[in-house]
Amino acid sequence: MSGWAAAGWLLPRELRATAGVVAAALLWEGLARSGLLNPAYFPPTSRVLRVLWQDFRGGDLALHTLATLGRLGSAFLLAALPGLGIGILMGLFTVARRALDPYVVLLYPLPKVALLPLLLILLGVGDPAFVVTASLTAFFQIVVNTMDAVRNVDPLLVEVGRNYGARGFGLFWKVVLPAALPGILTGLRLGLGLSLVTLIAVEFAIAKSGLGHLVWRSWQMLATPQMFAALLVVGGIGILLTRGLKRVQDRLLRWQPTVDVWA
Amino acid sequence: MPLSGRPHMVERGVLRGLRDGGGLLSLLSVVALLSLWEGAARAGWIHEAFFPRPTVVGAQFAALVREGVLGEHLSVTLGRLFWSFLVATLPGVALGLVLGVWRTAREVVDPLVAFVYPIPSVLFLPLAAIVLGRGEAARVATAAVTSFLLVVINTTAGVRQLDRGLLEAAMHYGAVGWRLFTKVLLPGSLPWIFTGLRLALGLTLIVVIAVEMVGAETGLGAWLWLSWQTLRVRDMYAGLLVIAALGLTVTYGLEAVRQRLVPWQRGLEREL
Repeated sequence: MSGWAAAGWLLPRELRATAGVVAAALLWEGLARSGLLNPAYFPPTSRVLRVLWQDFRGGDLALHTLATLGRLGSAFLLAALPGLGIGILMGLFTVARRALDPYVVLLYPLPKVALLPLLLILLGVGDPAFVVTASLTAFFQIVVNTMDAVRNVDPLLVEVGRNYGARGFGLFWKVVLPAALPGILTGLRLGLGLSLVTLIAVEFAIAKSGLGHLVWRSWQMLATPQMFAALLVVGGIGILLTRGLKRVQDRLLRWQPTVDVWA
Repeated sequence: MPLSGRPHMVERGVLRGLRDGGGLLSLLSVVALLSLWEGAARAGWIHEAFFPRPTVVGAQFAALVREGVLGEHLSVTLGRLFWSFLVATLPGVALGLVLGVWRTAREVVDPLVAFVYPIPSVLFLPLAAIVLGRGEAARVATAAVTSFLLVVINTTAGVRQLDRGLLEAAMHYGAVGWRLFTKVLLPGSLPWIFTGLRLALGLTLIVVIAVEMVGAETGLGAWLWLSWQTLRVRDMYAGLLVIAALGLTVTYGLEAVRQRLVPWQRGLEREL
């Protein structure tokens, strides 16, 4: 490997990670200032950060962020409660699985954003339609992961639980649920991430508020600093939802170490 | 966006179910729901303007297929899917292999990937339109962004899980540079790469449809959007049917292919 690699080894890990981000930001700044990138389209990093700060304090960006987060929260709750229930039923009972499987099989791979027009017709143009569209994405993910987790509980564990006298609900609560928890939490986490994706697409397409709408509007008005500022906020939320929740999950399930293959 | 739960388990289970015939109850359940729908619509319990009867939707679907309208939109969508997938995967696998072996580069790139990856792809449409102009290239590029990163992540992970001993043995026997890549790294991480490709294809489909809804005049997504705006509900259901079939093919078809190509692969159901 080259001298570059050797130099990199000398830096501690966090520093190398930060170095990548800082280098990208500086490169962007330089290219925009030198005019190699058209600054009307690619405003320098410093300008984007200033706009980000101003719009957050001024309230506009904060309001759109709140709108998105509010919808995301409702969508997630709307998906998680029935999703967990149905997933658990399908995992425990063959009858439920056989009856509901065809719908899960058919609808799980359907890009949920395609259901937006239908929901707009049914619920009218407004938050209910946006929220339901976003929640459907999470719903199927949660059902599928929960069912999977419950079905794949080690039969030995169940056997042992039975031998120690656990029956019925006790067996489920004390044995099956804890064993299935990692898979269930993974489903919830993936579901949340997926509903953000759908929600942003929905906002971009039709909403009059929210970060997706803000990106669309800034684009139409060629207010590129605002557009990039909104993208930064979405990226930040995304990181929190993916890596942050992964960390929470690992901490909750400390008895069950997961291997993180990437980081 | 994290798409992978335990990627294969779900699809594998579904395939097994399909092969077993899915059970009589599953069939009954679908027939019952469709009959209920048909009956309720005929009886006037549900609004036919919103929920046209299954038979009516079927007839409209057949008519649209015969006219060739749906086929045209389908082929446009398939074309975009193909190009986006290609643009995402070829450089994605290449970069993933490099990052897999080059730790410094990986640690520098990682935070950038972590930041961009969860940004919903549709948001890159404005950026792509600015750089590439408002046209086909921008749509294809938009749908490729997140899939590209997904392939990079999976390929990197695939290289990193390779047995150190295997790598060292290969290097001792003179596999360096290009040979190391083609003879050891690529085949060794193939199962992981394949997982990445499969998830990427599903993801690309989602974004293509979304992009078509907001920024195209043709394609299945555009067809849906137009049907909504002109309140042609039956056309909308027909379009949904095609998109659903496409989603099914992409999700379960590729899993069947994978089982053929890398049948030995197990234990990959770890979450990425």
